[in-house]
Amino acid sequence: MLLTDEEKRMLDGEYCPGIQRSMDLLVKLGESFDAEKLVPISYGHIGYDFCPEPFWDKMTEGVPQTPHRVTTHPSYSPEIWKKCGLPLADNWIGEHERKLKRFKELGWLRTETCAEYLLGIFPRKGDIVPMGGSCMQVANNSLFGAKVDRMGILVSLAAAVCGRTPLMGLLIPENRYASHLVELDDLDVSDWTMSEYHCLGYYIGDQVPGFKPVAVNGLPPNLPFDFARALVISMPTSGAVTLAHIVGTTPEASTLEAAQGKRKLENVIKVGKREMSETWERLNVWDDDTVEHVAFGCPHSTIDEIGRIVTLLEGKKVKTTLLIGASTPVEALARRQGWADIIEKAGGIFLPACPSIANPFTRADIAGEKQAKSAATNSARSAHYIASVGGIKVFFGTEEECVNAAISGKWKGEMPKWK
Amino acid sequence: MEIRAHMVSAGKAEGKAVVYNGPFAFLGDLSPVTGKICMPRHRLEGQSLVNKVFVFTTGKGSSGCDFAAWAAKKNGRAPAAIICLESEPVLSGAVIATGIPAVDRPEKNVLELIKTGDYVRVDANAGIIEIKGK
Repeated sequence: MLLTDEEKRMLDGEYCPGIQRSMDLLVKLGESFDAEKLVPISYGHIGYDFCPEPFWDKMTEGVPQTPHRVTTHPSYSPEIWKKCGLPLADNWIGEHERKLKRFKELGWLRTETCAEYLLGIFPRKGDIVPMGGSCMQVANNSLFGAKVDRMGILVSLAAAVCGRTPLMGLLIPENRYASHLVELDDLDVSDWTMSEYHCLGYYIGDQVPGFKPVAVNGLPPNLPFDFARALVISMPTSGAVTLAHIVGTTPEASTLEAAQGKRKLENVIKVGKREMSETWERLNVWDDDTVEHVAFGCPHSTIDEIGRIVTLLEGKKVKTTLLIGASTPVEALARRQGWADIIEKAGGIFLPACPSIANPFTRADIAGEKQAKSAATNSARSAHYIASVGGIKVFFGTEEECVNAAISGKWKGEMPKWK
Repeated sequence: MEIRAHMVSAGKAEGKAVVYNGPFAFLGDLSPVTGKICMPRHRLEGQSLVNKVFVFTTGKGSSGCDFAAWAAKKNGRAPAAIICLESEPVLSGAVIATGIPAVDRPEKNVLELIKTGDYVRVDANAGIIEIKGK
């Protein structure tokens, strides 16, 4: 790989051990993909609490404040977990506090969300933004046209430290054209809610090998933001799709021709009623109908989603624990609107944390003997990770079914009647 | 039998093979505590990957696969080496950052030539997979 003199100095350790190690990781990764060089980034996005502490310490050792902006994925909230009465919360405080202290010294921004575009922090078309969080990657690539390659949480830290990322994958314009096409086969989407789009995305992700760009054709133009986002973020859960063009909705896909360019299609994936039914079924992993926890906000809730939950929940009390994952600014807006109050009076709580992989109520290493044994969610991504990482039973259904489950403690969700 | 392949992550390792004709995610598919496949309804659910040479198609899933790989390695519950048909950046970053030897783009179809239980040696630096049989 061709390095500039400055990059060679960074790699040779002339600045500090953190920059040297980060550079080493970026160069090794770039070389394994035959990247020609490194390119400067517009800004970076990392996940400090998801980094193992020894790795975090090594990669940030001696690193001064960066000239570029760096934001972060949801962090842990052990102080709030403690208030929720989760017995093992204390175990998490020390490491979290140490990493947060270093994070602040670096001058990085505590966005603590997997949906920071809702805070007004989003890339312009063509901006190069290395990011941790596959849902951030696919959303920023697909919905805003940023250049975000697929990468892991650890590599995203290296890119943020160095302000550089290897020129490879989806940073290269010709690699952004769709190689896989999804066609809806006799599916009427007119009454779909967000959950049906989650389910469709989960099926598509499973059908596309590797992280090949996908074009989804046949959906209504200018799909509402919540629906478009649900569709694209579910794909890197069951698979690795990092760029999905929704024809008529996303910026690089005004038409199918624009999304496809001159690239030859490798496969056409047809999705009909049978595929949707099988996927919906697959996302439901449970035997009896008792629901102990309900999780919303994977990815972090939009204000519109919170508004819909409030309409369903107003004046009711929940029997389960109810978590809404949302960024602090979106929560503040919900509070100003009077909605946070309604949710909290019903017994729900807001957390600026991950309600899936790091959902404190479903994780035995946080909740201890209070771990919920079953959880309901309207997100395919959440269902996937609560079942596998939490190791508990999962109900997947619509917003309305999940709110009803929180109120009654019983699952009455049904397979949608596909039309 | 020797098969040439492309280095993803440096190092040499050997062990019994586990072959899976599908994509793999360190986060969600593998328990970092037991080293076994933990995804409900996965075809290999319950299969241990500890010190195995894991052969599969490509990576998938969350960008958190690298910290999950790190946790498995720290607990001594990681695969010894990885062979896949074509890696992707999350998988590559995970094995490079955690020091698990790995190769991809093998010149022959490893999913057919290697059987689960075969003893396999991977020299990633030299780009060589050696199948030693049962």
